[in-house]
Amino acid sequence: MSYLSVLGLGAGAGQDVGRSCILVSIAGKNVMLDCGMHMGYNDDRRFPDFSYITQNGRLTDFLDCVIISHFHLDHCGALPYFSEMVGYDGPIYMTHPTKAICPILLEDYRKITVDKKGETNFFTSQMIKDCMKKVVAVHLHQTVQVDEELEIKAYYAGHVLGAAMFQIKVGCESVVYTGDYNMTPDRHLGAAWVDKCRPDLLITESTYATTIRDSKRCRERDFLKKVHETVERGGKVLIPVFALGRAQELCILLETFWERMNLKAPIYFSTGLTEKANHYYKLFITWTNQKIRKTFVQRNMFEFKHIKAFDRAFADNPGPMVVFATPGMLHAGQSLQIFRKWAGNEKNMVIMPGYCVQGTVGHKILSGQRKLEMEGRQILEVKMQVEYMSFSAHADAKGIMQLIRQAEPRNVLLVHGEAKKMEFLKQKIEQEFHVNCYMPANGETTTIFTNPSIPVDISLGLLKRETAIGLVPDVKKPKLMHGTLLMKDNSFRLVSPEQALKELGLTEHQLRFTCRVHIQDPRKEHETVLRVYNHLKGVLKDYSVQHLPDGSITVESILIQATAHSEDQGTKVLLVSWTYQDEELGSYLTALLKKGLPQSST
Amino acid sequence: MTRECSLLLPRVCAALADPRLPSSDDTCLEKLLDWFRELAESDPTVKLMQDNPCLTEFITSILALPEPSPSILSFTLRLAGILAASENRFQHLQQEQLLVRLFGRDGPLNSSLWEDASVRSGWVEGVHSMMHHQPALHFLCHGGGINTIFTLQGDPSLFVASAASQLLVHMLTLSVESETTKPLTTKDCDWPACARMIIKHIEDSLQSSSASDIEQSLKLLTGLFGSCRAAWTEVLWLGIVKQIKSFLMEETVRAPHALANLLLNMTWSPVFCNDEGSFWALVTSALEHFTPIEASPLAVGILRLYKCPQDVRIQALTVLLQPMDCILRAASQPLEYAGLLDESVSDPITVESLLSSKSSCAGLLCQTLAHLEELLSLVLLPVELPYPSLLRSLMTILQFCNGSVNPTSPLGSTISRILVNCFRVQRSALDVLAALSERKGCDTLIEDLFDVLLAYLESPNTSPTVLKKTFHATSKWLARLQELSCSNNQWQQTEKILKDVFLVLQKRLCSPCWEVRDSSLEFLTVLIQCLRDQDEFRQSLLSSEVPRLTESLLEDPESYVRASAVTAVGHLAFITYFAPESPVAGNLCNKEVSFTANTVAKLQEILSTDPEGFPRRAVISIFTKWLRQGCTGQLEDAEQFVSRVIQTVVHDLDWEVRLGGLELVEVFYTQTICQLGLPKCPYAPVSSAVTTSVPQDESLQIFCRAKLFSFLFQSLCDCDKPVAQRACDILLALRVTFHPISTLKDSQGAGDSPAGCGIAWLQRTLSQGSLAQNFPIDGANGVDFQDPESMMLALGTIDLEELHDELNKSSDHVEKSPQSLLQDILATVGTIKENEADCY
Repeated sequence: MSYLSVLGLGAGAGQDVGRSCILVSIAGKNVMLDCGMHMGYNDDRRFPDFSYITQNGRLTDFLDCVIISHFHLDHCGALPYFSEMVGYDGPIYMTHPTKAICPILLEDYRKITVDKKGETNFFTSQMIKDCMKKVVAVHLHQTVQVDEELEIKAYYAGHVLGAAMFQIKVGCESVVYTGDYNMTPDRHLGAAWVDKCRPDLLITESTYATTIRDSKRCRERDFLKKVHETVERGGKVLIPVFALGRAQELCILLETFWERMNLKAPIYFSTGLTEKANHYYKLFITWTNQKIRKTFVQRNMFEFKHIKAFDRAFADNPGPMVVFATPGMLHAGQSLQIFRKWAGNEKNMVIMPGYCVQGTVGHKILSGQRKLEMEGRQILEVKMQVEYMSFSAHADAKGIMQLIRQAEPRNVLLVHGEAKKMEFLKQKIEQEFHVNCYMPANGETTTIFTNPSIPVDISLGLLKRETAIGLVPDVKKPKLMHGTLLMKDNSFRLVSPEQALKELGLTEHQLRFTCRVHIQDPRKEHETVLRVYNHLKGVLKDYSVQHLPDGSITVESILIQATAHSEDQGTKVLLVSWTYQDEELGSYLTALLKKGLPQSST
Repeated sequence: MTRECSLLLPRVCAALADPRLPSSDDTCLEKLLDWFRELAESDPTVKLMQDNPCLTEFITSILALPEPSPSILSFTLRLAGILAASENRFQHLQQEQLLVRLFGRDGPLNSSLWEDASVRSGWVEGVHSMMHHQPALHFLCHGGGINTIFTLQGDPSLFVASAASQLLVHMLTLSVESETTKPLTTKDCDWPACARMIIKHIEDSLQSSSASDIEQSLKLLTGLFGSCRAAWTEVLWLGIVKQIKSFLMEETVRAPHALANLLLNMTWSPVFCNDEGSFWALVTSALEHFTPIEASPLAVGILRLYKCPQDVRIQALTVLLQPMDCILRAASQPLEYAGLLDESVSDPITVESLLSSKSSCAGLLCQTLAHLEELLSLVLLPVELPYPSLLRSLMTILQFCNGSVNPTSPLGSTISRILVNCFRVQRSALDVLAALSERKGCDTLIEDLFDVLLAYLESPNTSPTVLKKTFHATSKWLARLQELSCSNNQWQQTEKILKDVFLVLQKRLCSPCWEVRDSSLEFLTVLIQCLRDQDEFRQSLLSSEVPRLTESLLEDPESYVRASAVTAVGHLAFITYFAPESPVAGNLCNKEVSFTANTVAKLQEILSTDPEGFPRRAVISIFTKWLRQGCTGQLEDAEQFVSRVIQTVVHDLDWEVRLGGLELVEVFYTQTICQLGLPKCPYAPVSSAVTTSVPQDESLQIFCRAKLFSFLFQSLCDCDKPVAQRACDILLALRVTFHPISTLKDSQGAGDSPAGCGIAWLQRTLSQGSLAQNFPIDGANGVDFQDPESMMLALGTIDLEELHDELNKSSDHVEKSPQSLLQDILATVGTIKENEADCY
């Protein structure tokens, strides 16, 4: 029996969903899954406390690798801090698109941090680059050998461009970590998929643990309707976004709608990052869904006809328009600037396509506050319409169950969700799949025992010997083999005992058990032996029982000799001796003899 | 607490205590506690609670709930702890019978909520917060709470366990330091009650048969000796030393890492490190009994100490260097062996067996190498290391790793088989190699060393991360080689090495892997930075293909590489274009000179057209460097240069490029006023002859002509705060130069002239800050940014100090204020919380 352990290093001691950072120990290998940042804090609390990973020795020596599932900051935001400031110097793995896009988002966030004065202990641009240079990019379904024993493999996760689930495998033990995933295809990405890999443990996110989400189409229709109505009445629409991810999805949505409806109102994207973002979507077209890939031949979906680069002077232009501006939570910068300009007009609308942390203007307006204090004690009255639309692409309860069905894990561990909802899902999983389901708090280690099947090479000699006695090897019929197991340098071989002795330079010793059985019999010794022989011959019909010329009896390898008791001639002592291999028969025989000889033979 | 906050607080408390409302998000509660902590620390009286009875009511109402949510209960525990930190408020809460219901037996301790880790964590944190006075100590010790803490040391949540251990350290220290009337000595030791309980617990645990109990106590002691250096710690130590000794004597030492950490923390304490013998004897015994992997962290800690007996230091050095010694020995013929260690002290059998095992070899070496790097990075190393032998050993490891040696000894061949292509060991060895370049005494080996480094630079098997470290080590050793050549005038060797380095660099600059191209360019920049004054270096570089290839990388598809190419090309210009008087540059053929001139144009093109920020940032930073070093004079007139660059930068979408533009302006400003003889510091006493207005006028005209004012004022309204701040700083400096304080008052509220109207408009615009749009560059709204008179007026009139103060506030200072937090909590509990889960 072996075990693997999982330790979550999210924020707080409970099941906080703020960031992902999980440590998995499997067959002596330690892997960190994701290295996220908590967007809700501006101090050290934003990063995981890495001192809990190991208190003995350096992180680089302890961890075998770090795996990043996708480019969202709650999964990768602490990575430059970890590799460049804490000092982890080992390998980091992520998919190609994640490697390309990660630095953009990290730069995006670094800017917000610099904007908030007094924040120290944050990484620089150079650190982001140095960190990215340490990253090894992987392809989907490519088995990457981290070292001789540890291998990892990425599976498509949907969610965002480049998002992947990872299988971590050491020998025959394995864990699948889903990261964030989506089981239904959306406008630009496909559905998550994993093969029936039957891992010992599936670590799955559970953001929507109890939700069955409505079709994304409805939300999209709703979004288009709201934008259209606002533009029709001459209003302006502000959509605060992060540079990459949801922005592209919404751009495709609007572009197609504008085309279909022949709309003329301008759509702008503010940061100058559109080109770069779209460049990545083009570059990684294989990561998008089938529809986009197909249409790509005729027309590149990411080359937008209607969406233009934004210049800050445009915000004052009269008439309707739609503007995508960064950052996404109205923290600072351009999106906040435009918001302040447009907030006073009830014809305008702001659509928040994602969650906002406390301490941002985005959070305030989403919680319904309409009089906002701005810098210099100015009060900004928000008359524009405020809409929240969730386009987040997580698997819902149905999706999570579907993935479990696909992967057929032996155990399930839920992360990235709320305790109450997870509890409900846990019960459901245990009921339906009859597997153990865990939902540990952050900082709590979950240990799961496994029964690893260890591959063993069998020697040709031994195999031939088995074949010779008519047992032809058959993959469909597992059978028991006897031999000597040699374990050397992490390799296991089953060989014949003779070969083992030869290889190891050892001489064979025989282990024999002996037992004295006293029998009351006044006859001569040879007569007693004869009686014993006859008795055994009668009882053990299927065994080879022999009476040897020297007066001893053998039953298979068991030897029986009789002597008279030195003090009592009426008592004969039977010396029974047998080898370790015949332990069972030897025990049986002594038990039989101890009962005495049958009277009839007297 | 502001009036607004005290008005909001009761509503917030009521909302938080209402189980029907969804609980607030964890970050809000955390921030709320931060605020309470600040308030509580600033005033220890009971006033906070008297003024805000809602706090007591809140705690009471949470306690009255049959099943509060774990997060709210945890919050309540922590809040109560913060409030009870002062004795007055503690008594107040005691009178209300609240503390016993929170932290005593009637509290969550015995409820099912205790199963939730956040509740246990809240309990420990709450207790820790209140633990600042004797009544708190007594409350906990007499109420049985201390046993709960003992249990929590072994909590399944690492966070809780660690917090419990820290709490016990804190309580022990507090108890001894606040409750003893006379100093404790070994002869007369009367521990106060609470301390006695904790010490007994430690002693019992150390004698327990449970490994985890022992480990917990060792951790506790480690924390104690790490934070408390008082004399009484020795008394405690004497009570347990026998037990600790017995651990070291066991055949397999129990909890070796915890023991090593404990001893290490003790070595820093004056109580123990001044000890004449017994403590150090224990340390020596630990070094002997631990396995090499367990002993190494302790050894390196000892080697960092300035105060330590010599024999212990030697013992530690032996432990640390043993693996390096074995490596040397494994690779050498018996007769040529000159190891790192004296054979009389070395006992290599264990280390040899670890090195010859596949599972432990790389681990042991990486740990040793990391410890060596740690030591070598110290400026003052308390111990002298055998640098030449160490270098030989490092070279051997690197050769094992790339399979370039075939050792004859069985151990050597086993190790080399294990290490071949082992990136982990390569990386660690190269780090040490770079650190070793700072140490003297390795000069005779330098040629062999470069053979090893070049082999790594050349090999296609070198991974990008290993290559980066090889570049780093190479640059450090090239600088060392340079120093050597200067002192012994032997340039042939240097030239040959440089030639080889540039040959391999040429190849690497063409790598298909962007990480390699980028590291190569960074390496080139570092080399130029440290060696550009040496003719041999310049000669070798310019006669290679490296400059041409570097320039071609300005068009690399990867933006990081383009940015590094810009920086490298910018530095190359120092030895080509900007050094015409040097014999090397003088020898350049026309083709090369024109190549550099084109390069400058190319950089300007990158600044205006590159679609990504990194290369543009690199260009502006190089331009600033050129200007700072006075190079642009050779390009063209600095004024024109700056003006032209600024015209490009002003429209840049990347805030750091705009910020870079402001830095350029700042350098230009400093240089201009220096050239014109203006005092840099306006308050410095200057003779009346200097304060003539002629140079002032001239420089003001220069700034106006170069259109710097429009850039600066426009930047003041930048939506990215760092840009506006920098612009404001520069304008303030300009005002000090151009507008002496004496004349400032006269121009306040400038008259009704047309220029005055324009400035009034400008003032209004600036007060809108980043909301200002369509900022007039020229002429509009009556502000002529190129008119010196208007600009003088603007500098004198506009309240730059106020702007400066405003800009210096964090961009989220309003949103992160306590009032805003309270408003957010109130607003959030009223809305449906479905948004929450939709993280990103």
